[in-house]
Amino acid sequence: MTFGDGFLRFPDLFPGRRGGEPWGDRTLVLDVAGGPYRVTGLSAAQEEAARHKFGGLCREGEMAAEVAVQVFRAAPTDFLDRDVRGWEYTLDRDYSPGSVLLAGLRLMARIDWTPALAGGLWTSWSGGEEWASVFENYLRVLVAYRLLEEGGAMLHSAGVTDGTSAWLLLGPSGAGKTTSSRLCLARGGTVLSDDLNAVRLENGARPRLTWLPFAGDLGGQAGAQAGYPLAPLAAVLRLKQGTENRLRPLSPATALAGLVAAAPFVNHDPWRRELLLSALERLARSVPAYELVFSLDGGLWDILKTIPS
Amino acid sequence: MSLSRLVATAWRQNLLFSVLVELTYRCNLDCFFCYNDLGLRGEPMSREQYFRLFADLREMEVMNLTLSGGEPLAHPDFLALGARARELGFVVRIKSNGHALRGELARRVRDEVDPFLIEVSLHGATAATHDRQTRVPGSFDRLLANLAEMRELGLRVKVNSTLTAWNETEIEGMFAITDSLGLPLQVDPEVTPRDDGDREPLQVAPSREGALRLFRLQFERGRAAEALAAPDPPGSIPRQPEVARGGDDGTMPAPLHKHCGAGSSGIAVDPYGNVYPCVQWRRPVGNLHRQGIGEIWRSSKGLEEVRDLTVRVKETIDAQGEGGYLLNFCPGTAAVHTGSPFEIYGAAAQRRELLEQVIGEEAGAKRRLLPVID
Amino acid sequence: MTAIALTTVLRRRSDVRYRLIEGEAVVLRQSAAEVLVLNGVGAAVLDLADGERPVAEWIEALAREYDADAETLARDVLAFAGELREAGLLEEIVAEDPP
Repeated sequence: MTFGDGFLRFPDLFPGRRGGEPWGDRTLVLDVAGGPYRVTGLSAAQEEAARHKFGGLCREGEMAAEVAVQVFRAAPTDFLDRDVRGWEYTLDRDYSPGSVLLAGLRLMARIDWTPALAGGLWTSWSGGEEWASVFENYLRVLVAYRLLEEGGAMLHSAGVTDGTSAWLLLGPSGAGKTTSSRLCLARGGTVLSDDLNAVRLENGARPRLTWLPFAGDLGGQAGAQAGYPLAPLAAVLRLKQGTENRLRPLSPATALAGLVAAAPFVNHDPWRRELLLSALERLARSVPAYELVFSLDGGLWDILKTIPS
Repeated sequence: MSLSRLVATAWRQNLLFSVLVELTYRCNLDCFFCYNDLGLRGEPMSREQYFRLFADLREMEVMNLTLSGGEPLAHPDFLALGARARELGFVVRIKSNGHALRGELARRVRDEVDPFLIEVSLHGATAATHDRQTRVPGSFDRLLANLAEMRELGLRVKVNSTLTAWNETEIEGMFAITDSLGLPLQVDPEVTPRDDGDREPLQVAPSREGALRLFRLQFERGRAAEALAAPDPPGSIPRQPEVARGGDDGTMPAPLHKHCGAGSSGIAVDPYGNVYPCVQWRRPVGNLHRQGIGEIWRSSKGLEEVRDLTVRVKETIDAQGEGGYLLNFCPGTAAVHTGSPFEIYGAAAQRRELLEQVIGEEAGAKRRLLPVID
Repeated sequence: MTAIALTTVLRRRSDVRYRLIEGEAVVLRQSAAEVLVLNGVGAAVLDLADGERPVAEWIEALAREYDADAETLARDVLAFAGELREAGLLEEIVAEDPP
């Protein structure tokens, strides 16, 4: 099995550099955690579809400290036809010290440190929802690396806040991220996202939970109009569904293990492992961690609010 | 009648003979010194536009069509374009890094495109040096394996290299590799700036010692071949008759009153339809989105100027005296180095100086061994 | 090889590439990397060798163009065709050949 051979007709032709023919001359600037991200080479249709998806996150004009992403043309014939029925979305990844390569459905992409972080995306979708999906799937990976570079992390999690404190709810698929989010929402809480959230760790300051536009069923647009909220993180909680609502403290080591498991894309990258571990270790040492057993009565909201902030 | 006489007749009349087409700037490697202008923008040529271009070139009796890039195989329509070029009877050359030329793709290139020649690039005699240039780990081993496979498939291959500070001590080793594969190796002693003028590649320009080493080795190999009256190595391309300039991309010998065939016997096209006098002279003389190639060839003011310039360049070089040809002067390279197509740039002056030195050494050696031959 | 007759059908071999310049032909035989130049009649013969018409039709076509004595022309064309076949540029089509 070589990289990309499940998706690409000729994996040997995978782009070795950010070069090629762009789809157009349009540019989009996305104000998302770790950004802003300046995306160039878009066709009019691609720009429109991306604006439709990311709405209020699109900024005009110049912004400082950008991550540059170039979009290039690929052809449908670059890719294999795949039967995607019943297939869970995955990306083929290739890790090296200076780059991460991605191959997926109608997608080839690079994340390079040259030495600054920069991205390249080749797709055969010239616009529409298919293009927007490919772009979002790439952006998730790019943001995960960007946050890591800034000493933070992107985590599979539910992020909930009461405006003063925020709580990070971890768990694999099926653990109850969406369910617990709904329960908090019903009790008046704000859900940042029930799927992916960003933790920012600035030196000396309390870790903060930052909203990302990558929602599962909930969240998503919550932050789009307000800019993204930055709520100080009160605790990291590992979810477990049960018949009662109960907290059990976890050691930093146990918390760290749970955090690493929750850091998608980067946690399989041997070249960024140290960086990930040190960021998440800082997190595990600076906020308390608990196992949160929760029932469907919504009492978890009260429990969360008992955690000292 | 001879080839050069026929060709001289043709060139007086500006009959286009060779066209190089950069299909895409996408590449599956990332060579440090790549000359492509990756910031260039424009409307890419469509498949139909390329078919139209090839048909027009056929009508103009263009013989040589070289497909280049970036990596031409990375263009999504490469096989269709190559097949069309073959159908139209062009002598097709492919400039490829060879990285993907194995297995099914190599077979399809042979069967559907049937190129006259594939030119690949070797950057060193070791994986460390070659991969340092390509910045794709494993590319050296892959290239060697693919070269063996291409030969097995019956593809005709030539290996090109550019002398750099990184490989200048490995030249003997590189010749050893290509000799063992039975392939010719052509080494260019100069690194040039990028097409947008960026001088970063010059950071790896070879040293004087490196260039001297190369020239001495080339002379030595030439002498050895003569002494043995050796046939060309198997699978190699016999020496072309009387090429007036180096940089053999199939361009025919120069018109006798001009320095080179840029804009007279040859042109180059980039992925956005821009037309240039040659791949090295990045002065656009037209665009295929606006005009057909025939119209550009006949009526471009830029081409008219270039044709006049190449006459004046010849005069400039002739005025340099007997050793003028040793400059291997390129007006396109001059333009990118100095802004003027006439100015003798440093690398050219150095080449002449070093070649004169080596020729002097050779003449001294010959005098000791043989009577002088006029 | 059998002698070339007026009924013989010849075609350019698949590795032949050529262009006409001022009535002459520059020819590359790819498999041997060999470059040749053919003069007027030789160039015309190469160009006519499309694998469809027999030699007799070439002579007719050339007679119209060259305004030459028919017998001399026929002799020259047959001789040239033979030379080009010897040189590996042309091959004969026999009945079973695919088009």
